[in-house]
Amino acid sequence: MKFTVNRAIFLKKLKDVQLAVSSRATIPILTGIKLIADSEGIKMTGSNSDISIETILTVSNEAAELTIDAPGEVVLQPARFFSDIVNKLPDETFTVEVKNGVQTSITSASSAFVINGLDAVNYPRLPEIDTKDAFTLPVNLLKKIIKQTVIAVSTHESRPILTGIHFIIKDGKLKAVATDSHRLSQRVIPIEGTENLSYDLVIPGKSLQELTRLLDDSLDEIEVSVAENQILFKTEDTYFYSRLLEGNYPDTNRLIPESSSTQLTLEASTLLGAVERASLLSHEGKNNVVKLTVKDNSVEITGNSPEVGRVNEQVTFNDLKGEDMEISFNPDYLKAALTTFGSIEVTLKLISTLRPFVLVPSENNDEFIQLITPIRTSS
Amino acid sequence: MLDTFTELEAQTEATLGIIKTMKDEVSHLTEENNVLRMENQHLRDRLAEIIKQQSIEKQMTDSGLTKSRLNLEKIYEDGFHVCNLFYGSRRDGDEPCAFCLEVIYGERK
Repeated sequence: MKFTVNRAIFLKKLKDVQLAVSSRATIPILTGIKLIADSEGIKMTGSNSDISIETILTVSNEAAELTIDAPGEVVLQPARFFSDIVNKLPDETFTVEVKNGVQTSITSASSAFVINGLDAVNYPRLPEIDTKDAFTLPVNLLKKIIKQTVIAVSTHESRPILTGIHFIIKDGKLKAVATDSHRLSQRVIPIEGTENLSYDLVIPGKSLQELTRLLDDSLDEIEVSVAENQILFKTEDTYFYSRLLEGNYPDTNRLIPESSSTQLTLEASTLLGAVERASLLSHEGKNNVVKLTVKDNSVEITGNSPEVGRVNEQVTFNDLKGEDMEISFNPDYLKAALTTFGSIEVTLKLISTLRPFVLVPSENNDEFIQLITPIRTSS
Repeated sequence: MLDTFTELEAQTEATLGIIKTMKDEVSHLTEENNVLRMENQHLRDRLAEIIKQQSIEKQMTDSGLTKSRLNLEKIYEDGFHVCNLFYGSRRDGDEPCAFCLEVIYGERK
């Protein structure tokens, strides 16, 4: 194998693939990156047991200045070492050549490295996914959905199914739900061209986070295909495979209350500021709790840690309906939830001191919902 | 004349007997009456107590919870999950659980 390529463009691709490579891979060869050169271009593959990324740098890409002198394949490891070398090479282009099976020389201007590669035959094969039933999603929307729901994904391995985001595609709508049992985030969007499709998937939250890192904002659409236990996201030149989580996702529809006794409408950023300030104090204390009090047409956020001190703040609001209420909760959950709304007007719907409360945008309030479970206080 | 006296004595003795029996009867009845009065008082107290308790229970169900749900709430407050996902496992650091709350307070159709 021998090829010469533009360093910056190759490096960009290499970094994409590197997202999937973990330094603590279960199979040693997975710490490396597989390179395949053929007449079409160079294909790079990186993988851990959960996700795999494959990308192609084609000869038709003029900016890449790619010339392939001899086809072949090799695994270079560890991935980080290889990309560091490429990053530091002196010239704008460099040449990779494999001699004697796995000995790989990397040359650029007057600098020359010889590193030991591995035989690419031993690299695990990527799953084969039938792309016949693929559907497309707008990239910016997909990234938005992931960012809005991934905050509620569980980080505990005790219940593996909750470490994923539950995607349900049905009747031309995509619903994404994540919960760690303390809070829940759900987003529903209509997507065109899926009227006849019906999927029920649980995709690991970590995989989706990597996917948002991989996807460039300049991309318009991404093609999605689903196999039995794998999902493939495909752009023009990059394939992103992720394992799906097995098992049934718990029914979350019944968690979302239908009625409420108090509705509070205010700017997300106003409430976020108040909660952030209150959480400064609650983080210092033993229990991380702040209290929201709705009383006599005023709204107050208070934090009280006997060993540290107290904080209270009157919150300005736009509208308030319903009964007086006092509710305590973990401020970090509310902060994370509010951040996903950006600077829009939100409505808090409270039922009782003991029941979970929800946050929805004041407009379009059935598309996006954040639920937070209160903390019981002994008082 | 003596015969008349003997007859009168016998009659008086009989009357005395009747008076004795009647006196015993009256004291017996009074005693019984007292016992029943006390018994009645006790029963009334007991009844009042039961009514009071019932109204408390009723108030509890007024908060929307049946006895079994109150039981679950108690287990939850003692720091254990009652939802079918984590049932029986400990709620670490008193973490709240939306699934449990749904089980306790949720509406069943």
